[in-house]
Amino acid sequence: MAIEFSNVWYRYPGSRKWVLSSVDVGFDESRIYVVFGPNGSGKTTLLKIASLIYRPARGKVFAWGYDYWGLPNSKRIELRRRIVYVHEKPILFKGTVEYNIAYGLMIRGLDRHEALVKARVLLEKLGLSYLADKKTNGLSAGEAQLVAILRAIVLEPRILVLDEPFAHLDSSKRDKIMELVLELRENGTGVVIASHDVFLAKAIAERVIVVENGKVLKPD
Amino acid sequence: MIILRTLWISGTAVVLSLLWSLPLAYLLSRKPGLAKIMVPVFDALIGVPTVLIGLVLYMLFSSRGPLGFLGLLYTPYAIIIGEAILVTPLITSTTYHVLNNVINTYGELALTLGATDKQAMMVALREGLPGVLASTAMAFSRASGELGIALMVGGNIKGYTRVMTTAIALEVSRGEFESAIMLGVVLVIIVVSTSIAIRFLQRKVYG
Repeated sequence: MAIEFSNVWYRYPGSRKWVLSSVDVGFDESRIYVVFGPNGSGKTTLLKIASLIYRPARGKVFAWGYDYWGLPNSKRIELRRRIVYVHEKPILFKGTVEYNIAYGLMIRGLDRHEALVKARVLLEKLGLSYLADKKTNGLSAGEAQLVAILRAIVLEPRILVLDEPFAHLDSSKRDKIMELVLELRENGTGVVIASHDVFLAKAIAERVIVVENGKVLKPD
Repeated sequence: MIILRTLWISGTAVVLSLLWSLPLAYLLSRKPGLAKIMVPVFDALIGVPTVLIGLVLYMLFSSRGPLGFLGLLYTPYAIIIGEAILVTPLITSTTYHVLNNVINTYGELALTLGATDKQAMMVALREGLPGVLASTAMAFSRASGELGIALMVGGNIKGYTRVMTTAIALEVSRGEFESAIMLGVVLVIIVVSTSIAIRFLQRKVYG
C-alpha cells in the first residue's frame, strides 16, 4: 500500500471537535479511488492527511511502508513529493499559465527554462497551447481548475489527489480530465478523487470509500 | 523642513515598529491558541487615543519618571517611540490577518507541490507582501496624522520637534486658519501619495 492510515484521528488546531475519528484506509498506485460523501463529512481532511500535508492528532500514517510523521524532514519531503494534492477551489499564482504549471518543477530544483519548456510541452500535448501565455487572473473557473490539475500532472506523481475536480467544469473539460485520469492510471499513477457525485463514483471508481461524519463507512 | 521632519519621524517610527510587529504577527499566525487571545486585544488597541500614549510616555520620560535619565522628553526620538507604539497594534493585527490567510492558502499550496517547509514559508511571505505593504502605508498615515503624542512628548519646539500636526494646531490657536488649512492639505497629499506609491509598487512587482 502506498498510503495507509492506522486508526487516524484529526481535529483542527484550537478546536475540540474531531473531524475524523478512528479511520483505517489505504490508497495504492495504479488504481482509481473515489472518496464519496456529503459536504462537511471530512473528505477534504482525509485527502489532506493522505497527501501528507496534515499531521493526524492520533494514529499513524504509513507512506510506502514508512511511519511518515516519525521520519526526519529530508525523508519526509522525498515521500511527500510522490503525492500531489489539488484543491477544490483552484489556487493559482499571479503570472502566466505556463509559469504556474512550471512552478512545482522549479520548486523541486529544475532549471527555470527546462521547467517552462516542460509546461509548454504538456499544454501542447493536450491542445491547450493557447493558454500558455494567458494571465491566470483572466481565466474562467474551469480553465483555472484545469491549470491546477495540469500543474499537478506535470510533476508525475505516484499518487494524484483531486478534491472535487469537476465542481467548476463544463462537460468538455470534464471529459478531458476523465481522459487524463484514465491515462495516468494506465501509466501507474494512483488517483484519489473526492466527490459527492454518486454517478461519478460508480462510473470511474475501482474502489469507493464512503465518508460520513468523520468516519469511513466502507473501507475497501 | 516641517514636511521633511514629519516624513522622517513618522517613517522611522513605522520602520521601528515593523522590526517587532512583523515577527509578532508571524508568531501569532503560527500559534492559533495564542492568536485567539492576543489578536482581539491588538484589534481593540488599534483605536487607542494618542493622548493616552502621550501621557504615559510623558510620565516615563519626564525628569522624575523612571526613564527620565535618558533625556528623551521633548526630542524627536520620544515622538518616534510613541508613534512606533501607536502603530504596533495596527501593523500586527493587519499583518496577522494577511499572513494567516496566505499561509493557509499559498503555504499549503506550495507544500502540495513539493516545497520544503522553508520554501513554503517563503512562498507565503512573498504572496503576503502586498498586504504587508498596505499595512505599512496605513501605519504611516496613522503615525503622520497623530497629534497627541507629538504634542505631549515632542513639545512642538520650532525647528526641532515641530511636525505638521502640531504646526496645524499652533496655527489654529493663533487664528491663522489659512496656514492651518494649507498644512492640512499638504498632509493629506503626503498620506494619499504614500498610499498610491505603495499600490503602484505592488502592481509593478505583482502585476
